[in-house]
Amino acid sequence: MPEFLEILVDKFTFKVATDRFYNREGLWAKTEGRLVRIGLSDFLQQRSGDVAFAEVRPLGTVVTFGDEVAVIETIKVNISVTSPVSGKVIEVNPAMETAPEAINQDPYGAGWLAAIETTDWETDCVQLLDPRVYFAQLKVEAEQEVKRG
Amino acid sequence: MTDTTAKQEPNHRPRVVIVPCSGIGKTYGTVSREAAYDVIEDLRPAETQLVALSKLALGDEAARSVITDNPVITIDGCKLACATKMVRESDGVVTQDFAVLDVYRRYKQFKPQGIAELNEGGKRLARALAEEIVVIVDTLSHESEGGQNG
Repeated sequence: MPEFLEILVDKFTFKVATDRFYNREGLWAKTEGRLVRIGLSDFLQQRSGDVAFAEVRPLGTVVTFGDEVAVIETIKVNISVTSPVSGKVIEVNPAMETAPEAINQDPYGAGWLAAIETTDWETDCVQLLDPRVYFAQLKVEAEQEVKRG
Repeated sequence: MTDTTAKQEPNHRPRVVIVPCSGIGKTYGTVSREAAYDVIEDLRPAETQLVALSKLALGDEAARSVITDNPVITIDGCKLACATKMVRESDGVVTQDFAVLDVYRRYKQFKPQGIAELNEGGKRLARALAEEIVVIVDTLSHESEGGQNG
């Protein structure tokens, strides 16, 4: 599989990184041993607009799948980011404090939000989407948004 | 929009030109224009003038002449930075560019909302931005006076 799946909808190009899983809201989860790093998909960040502030739950916070793990304020909306995994927050991206625009500039790299030490990855991952499935969902959503204007 | 291009007279001392975002129907665009009005109509009316971005987009020669003959401050409502880009494409020199989002990050307590009518946070953010612009205007004006006196 290529590194990214890409689609052009109207004048917008959306990329889906193929080395990670996604939840239906557009959060990605990438495994690194027992850690799962999380962030926003390219589609979610583009749809949400320029990020003004990103507040991630502090180190040591225990979250279960679906709990709020961050709040992101953009020029358009406030996003309650729900954790795509259960576990403990053991890393928070320091850029979220000083340069949250990293989410817009590099959503799959420097714009990561947090790393979570998982407690039940096997259960969580079956609720997440394969990148190809997320890509298909994204395509439908993006085309609907273009039709709505 | 209060376009003051017509106030430009030949042989007067240079005034600082403010070019705000033209984004209609967007909160940050409205903040940029309110900040420009605060500077031009209230804080530094004698030292500044406004040029509407739409005039530059339409290739208006008078507007283009004003931005090429005077220092320009742009205010962008989003990362597309239309105001800054259009001034540069019109051969103007951007002395300072402001982005509303960057200013908001410095004044998190002033969350802007509303479009036609800004909420209180938006008005205060616009004022804070206007006061930052005034610092630059004053610097440019003093430099200009120094140049004329020297």
